[in-house]
Amino acid sequence: MDVWSSLMDGFATALTPMNFMYAVIGVILGTAVGVLPGLGPAMTVALLLPVTYALEPTSAFIMFAGIYYGGMYGGSTTSILLNTPGESSSVVTAIEGNKMAKAGRAAQALATAAIGSFVAGTIGTALLAVCAPIVVKFAVSLGAPSYFAIMVLALLAVTAVLGSSRLRGFASLGLGLAIGLVGMDSVTGQRRLTFGQPLLADGLDIVVVAVAIFAVGEALWVAAYLRRTPLHAIPVGQPWMGKFDWKRSWMPWLRGTAFGFPFGALPAGGAEIPTFLSYVTEKRLSKHPEEFGKGAIEGVAGPEAANNAAAAGTLTPMLALGLPTNATAAVMLAAFTSYGIQPGPQLFTSQGPLVWALIASLFIGNFLLLIINLPLAPMWAKLLQLPRPYLYAGILFFATLGAYSVNLQAFDLVILLVLGALGFMMRRFGLPVLPLILGVILGPRIEGQLRKTLQLSAGDPAGLLGEPIAVGIYVIIGLILLWPFAYKLFRRSRPVAAPAGGAAPLATEAGDAVHSNHNAVYTNHKERP
Amino acid sequence: MTSLTTGLKGRSELGVALLLGAAGVLVFLDANGLVTPYSKSDPVGPKTVPFIVAGMLEVCAVLLALNVLRGGKGEAEGGEDVDLAHPADWKTILPLAGAFILNILLIDWAGWVISGTILFWGSVLALGSRHYVRDGLISVALSLLTFYGFYLGLGIALPAGLLEGIL
Amino acid sequence: MTVVVGYVPTPEGEAALTQAITEARRSNTTLVLINSSKGEAAVDDRFAEEGDIQDIGERLPSQGIQYLIKRPVRGHDAAAEVLDAAEEHNAELIVIGLRRRTPVGKLIMGSTSQRILLEADCPVLAVKAR
Repeated sequence: MDVWSSLMDGFATALTPMNFMYAVIGVILGTAVGVLPGLGPAMTVALLLPVTYALEPTSAFIMFAGIYYGGMYGGSTTSILLNTPGESSSVVTAIEGNKMAKAGRAAQALATAAIGSFVAGTIGTALLAVCAPIVVKFAVSLGAPSYFAIMVLALLAVTAVLGSSRLRGFASLGLGLAIGLVGMDSVTGQRRLTFGQPLLADGLDIVVVAVAIFAVGEALWVAAYLRRTPLHAIPVGQPWMGKFDWKRSWMPWLRGTAFGFPFGALPAGGAEIPTFLSYVTEKRLSKHPEEFGKGAIEGVAGPEAANNAAAAGTLTPMLALGLPTNATAAVMLAAFTSYGIQPGPQLFTSQGPLVWALIASLFIGNFLLLIINLPLAPMWAKLLQLPRPYLYAGILFFATLGAYSVNLQAFDLVILLVLGALGFMMRRFGLPVLPLILGVILGPRIEGQLRKTLQLSAGDPAGLLGEPIAVGIYVIIGLILLWPFAYKLFRRSRPVAAPAGGAAPLATEAGDAVHSNHNAVYTNHKERP
Repeated sequence: MTSLTTGLKGRSELGVALLLGAAGVLVFLDANGLVTPYSKSDPVGPKTVPFIVAGMLEVCAVLLALNVLRGGKGEAEGGEDVDLAHPADWKTILPLAGAFILNILLIDWAGWVISGTILFWGSVLALGSRHYVRDGLISVALSLLTFYGFYLGLGIALPAGLLEGIL
Repeated sequence: MTVVVGYVPTPEGEAALTQAITEARRSNTTLVLINSSKGEAAVDDRFAEEGDIQDIGERLPSQGIQYLIKRPVRGHDAAAEVLDAAEEHNAELIVIGLRRRTPVGKLIMGSTSQRILLEADCPVLAVKAR
């Protein structure tokens, strides 16, 4: 399969007037929801899922791609102008960017974020186009035992590595797996967890689950703790950068990209660690370290690039293996399933044109974001004046509409409310929602692979270890699970100097992230031979 | 745990452990009730995974309960528009949920245009808007627009309910 | 008796505050500063920043003025908040800042100043930005 010609075909598909229009809609919508407080790309894609049933899957995914990248960009705008990071991966952007904006350099902060996102997004997408087919080539040779192991790894890694409490992560995963069990067992046709309800026999519609957790749960959560005191947006004109800013930005963009992509592509990399790594690196390498914490442009350029490159990296396992590692990718994967498209390594062969059109549209979306956002930044800031009662009522309204329109039965709305309440509770008690949604999506597939594996080995559990790759992955899983204990021992035997009392909270946090990561690399090396 | 003693006060998180435990028991009982003859083509059967999930939920429930009793606490999720400094605003949540439930009850009988209007208007009101008339007009417009938009644009016929024949 | 001033962080608002300080000193009464927001939007530029309000709070005593700063955020519009405060604190005078508005703008947005002028029970002093 020739990457270049496939990609060109993808561009041909993505640039048809209809599809191009969807790309524009996606980018604008994505930026808008990124800017609006309380809305994110995952929620938006979830809300749009039902509406896009009438569309060609290709058009829908082109729009989703725009929302994915647009949301990231919009989020950085709010971080810079309001100092309210919506996600942990934009915490750093908020700190340096907001300081820059307060010092009257909002235009430059927005510009370096936008151009850096473009650079990182473009390079990241190119890497995705190159890497994904390679991963696929490797993956198609794998059998059920390896798949089973890989999926378990993805689930456990996301659960154990991301988020602050592993225990709560596993609790969330358990709930997700339980929700995924509901319905008819695909092998024997037995009904599980349906409680005699015929409406549950087909299982819970993944769209309803995603809308409930991401839209209803979030809207209720924000409504309960709505910030009453209004914030101040720093006034902004047209973003631009001087020659000096360019000089200080381009290296951080590239370094940020180099941090972001691999972390995003890992099963549990996420965007948070690479943004912190990029920040710390830039601080170390900068000729102006004294500016850090007061609005250094490198501290916006690097982390923003890392964030976007990670976003592109995340799509590699999503498209090549069917493994989502962040919320938006998870919802997009749910979209594949609801279009009847089987995610996994077969995706590139069975849905080649769609996948390549999606990748092409990522390039297009990136470019659109750049030309739309540079001139429109002041307009985006105006969106923040929108009365929030309409915003959150609108989320509930469209969530209801979407969930209802899937099957036109009020019963789905009951499920929507119950799972929405669950989403509320999880946010209240610090249970991360990502493991739940991954459990719902991957659970049934994992069970399928497990049964296939043991069917091949005629019930002998040793069949699980039937492939060398699978064995290797179990070793990694073991390391991830045992890691905190090893880490504790390591800390005990070599007490780490307490951070200086006067250190800014960010510095300590960033320092810790780097620290633990160094250790991770260290242990891996040690265990490999 | 029939009486809420002072020791349990402020430990509402134990409810989460309880929920996990209950979910685990539910999954276990349900799977246990399945009758499956052993089959060579499916040695795992439909029970194994539910048993594993149930076990995982129970372990999490116990560990979480221990963690909470030892003073552990889940970190509530922050956000751009979230201010965790003040307590949960039940005066907003309960009416919101009320509007939602009203919509569920009404949608099949009264139709989307009416139930959707109530949902949006009620939600906006619950969220603190005081422009009753303007909100009402927006609600009606939104419901009508989505009704016709879904019908004409997506080919999905939302229920017309009481307004059958008029719309 | 008090002087109530409707404050917004704009030139009009500053002019109103300056005038209100003069009036409060002249009649030796307490100055009640109202800076409200409906709290509907995530961002409200007419709701002063905490730092600005602190600055004012430090400036007023140095000018020998007794003051009270109120920053209600409870979904009421600015006119209602000012009128409420005037009634509650038994105002002898309300000071507001006026800004130029096109007739159409006024038609759409309504006018806070106009409502205060029409509904207040005490004299209202309207000043313009210099």
